Amino acid sequence: MVKMVWRQFAMEWKLYTRDKGAMFWTFAFPVVMLLGFGFIFRGGGGPKLSVVYVEPAISSPKDAALCKAMGDLQLKVIRLAPAEAEARWGRGETALEVLPAGSGYRMRLNSYLLAQGGPTAGLVNQAWMMAQARLAGAPEPGRIPVSVESPGGRKASNYAAFLLPGLLGLNLLSIGLFSVGMVNVSYREKGKFRRLAVTPLPKWVFLMGQVLQRLAICLAQAVVLVAVGWAVFGIRNQGSYLDLTLVMVLGTACFMSFGFALSSLADTAESYAAIANVFFFPLMLLSGVYFTLDSAPHWLQHAVWILPLAPFLTTLRAVFNDGASLAGHGLALAVVGAWAVVTFLVAVRRFRWA
Amino acid sequence: MGGTEVPMSGPALRIRGLRKAFPKVVAVAGVDLEVARGEVFGLLGPNGAGKTTTLEMIEGLTAPDAGEIEILGCTWARDGQAIRSRIGVQLQSTSLFNKIRVREALDLYGSYYPKARPTDELLALVQLQDKADAYHITLSGGQQQRLALALALVNDPDMVFLDEPTTGLDPQARRSLWDIVRRMKAEGRTVLITTHYMEEAEALCDRLAIMDHGQVIASGTPASLIAQLAIPSVVELTFEGSAPDPAAFSARLGEPVERRGERWEIPTRDPKALLPRLLETAEIAAVPYQQVHVRRATLEDVFLHQTGRSLRD
Ligand SMILES: Nc1ncnc2c1ncn2[C@@H]1O[C@H](COP(=O)(O)OP(=O)(O)OP(=O)(O)O)[C@@H](O)[C@H]1O
Ligand SMILES: [Mg+2]
Repeated sequence: MVKMVWRQFAMEWKLYTRDKGAMFWTFAFPVVMLLGFGFIFRGGGGPKLSVVYVEPAISSPKDAALCKAMGDLQLKVIRLAPAEAEARWGRGETALEVLPAGSGYRMRLNSYLLAQGGPTAGLVNQAWMMAQARLAGAPEPGRIPVSVESPGGRKASNYAAFLLPGLLGLNLLSIGLFSVGMVNVSYREKGKFRRLAVTPLPKWVFLMGQVLQRLAICLAQAVVLVAVGWAVFGIRNQGSYLDLTLVMVLGTACFMSFGFALSSLADTAESYAAIANVFFFPLMLLSGVYFTLDSAPHWLQHAVWILPLAPFLTTLRAVFNDGASLAGHGLALAVVGAWAVVTFLVAVRRFRWA
Repeated sequence: MGGTEVPMSGPALRIRGLRKAFPKVVAVAGVDLEVARGEVFGLLGPNGAGKTTTLEMIEGLTAPDAGEIEILGCTWARDGQAIRSRIGVQLQSTSLFNKIRVREALDLYGSYYPKARPTDELLALVQLQDKADAYHITLSGGQQQRLALALALVNDPDMVFLDEPTTGLDPQARRSLWDIVRRMKAEGRTVLITTHYMEEAEALCDRLAIMDHGQVIASGTPASLIAQLAIPSVVELTFEGSAPDPAAFSARLGEPVERRGERWEIPTRDPKALLPRLLETAEIAAVPYQQVHVRRATLEDVFLHQTGRSLRD
């Protein structure tokens, strides 16, 4: 039995390494994502928020004070003449614009970009109060000091350190849904399994061989990503490598089986793509790959824990970023483990060769 | 495995009332067959007759809607794995992983069975030694067919199913396939083969069944099928270009005349009596024929007679 699974694994691995293009992209894509987002959001706070400041016909001291205060608050101020500002607004590129109105100002917010414009408006108002205080010769208003730390408190780190575990999870999800699920549907559709169906090879051996081979790929990919994170951003695994490996193995088993189980729902690659996307996008956007969900409604934050990616990422980040042990994450591990077992059983039961 | 608990007597294959309907068509509409051990049995029929569907139900690839299948004394419900390890299957089209090498494919599939024939022996059998290290996707159509044949023999099977094994082969490869089938028979294997080629069926098969519209319309040895026809001979008039409408001529001659492409065919029990009358009538009617042939009836004629259609096209 073990020998059969091993042989199936070895053959899958051999066939995989012969497809150089697929191999390259599997490894390159997460690295590119990490480097790209890691550098863009390097400061930790993301890029500066920008404000279009429409210059009045005659500039007064209060205008200069406002602009200076906005700069002090880390806003990126784009000064434009009214006509240019109007043209930019018309093209939909402006999130927020400050215009002269009477003896003061008014702000115009783009209804499409409220997520950006809302916080910016708050800062502009703050800048205006600061400017008024300065003009009035009042003492500089005090500010609450800010320090950036990782939640577990072991080591201050940057956005890349938050992103890296997210990308590890995203990889597992996309390899499970696409490298496993999609590939199996399209092989089945092309009749590549029919010849296997007339041999005594048990289905579960075939499935196990594939799961193990994808597991090897995922682990190799994780090693590459962690190494790049360490070399480029100085991100270190804060937890034990044993715990990290255990979490990764469990997660891989879960998402590979998930892909398999899902592939049994579709007969064609096209219908599979539609089904896979129904899971992929919500899981990617709502499970905390790129950002946390702490501003989302409570029920949603609980609901995503029913699916495996959110508990997986929570545990992975706890180990990797905060050096936690697995002991405190029993519930999360149980959710991921339950998905792994249930989807593997569904996959074996529903798997068909043709 | 071997044949310890499996009965060695009785037919190799017994099918009763096999049926399969797809949403738009009844592919197999009640087929009964019995294939004796060590026999080469042919399944003939035009495109869409239901040959492949019948075979795939026997091989356990397609679930029948109704009917019984007993292979080598086993049934799918009870001994699926035993059947799988004792049959060899060449599908009508075998699609393997693109980047598997010929030798690897034979090794891999061999590894699925309790006993496997040596890969080099199989490579030699289908003359693919030169291509042993080529990727499957780089093989020509005929070479892929030969690899599929080798895969069907990888487990030293007791019963072999070949679905149109000679389609796409050059004449030499076809001959060598015939030799391989004869050798299988000599080794005591039972072979069930489908084909569109009458001469192939006549050359290889001990017995055969002719299928059309999902049913067996005739079965027996090739000789008995031809004898049953009771029309041992066919007189042919050939034309240059396509043959004219034979209706008027047929009425004048008082015999049925069938038009087939560039010729008229007149089946007859007694060509000696027919010929002078035929030539005379043709002379009077000024039929612009080129040549006259008299030939023995073939399986093709059996098929024509049974269905009114030709086997191919
Ligand atoms: N999967 C399927 N879904 C729907 N119809 C099918 C399917 N497979 C076969 N058929 C139909 O069943 C009928 C019998 O097909 P089958 O492949 O058994 O014919 P065949 O005798 O093998 O023909 P050929 O000589 O062309 O290989 C055909 O009308 C075919 O269109
Ligand atoms: Mg067919």
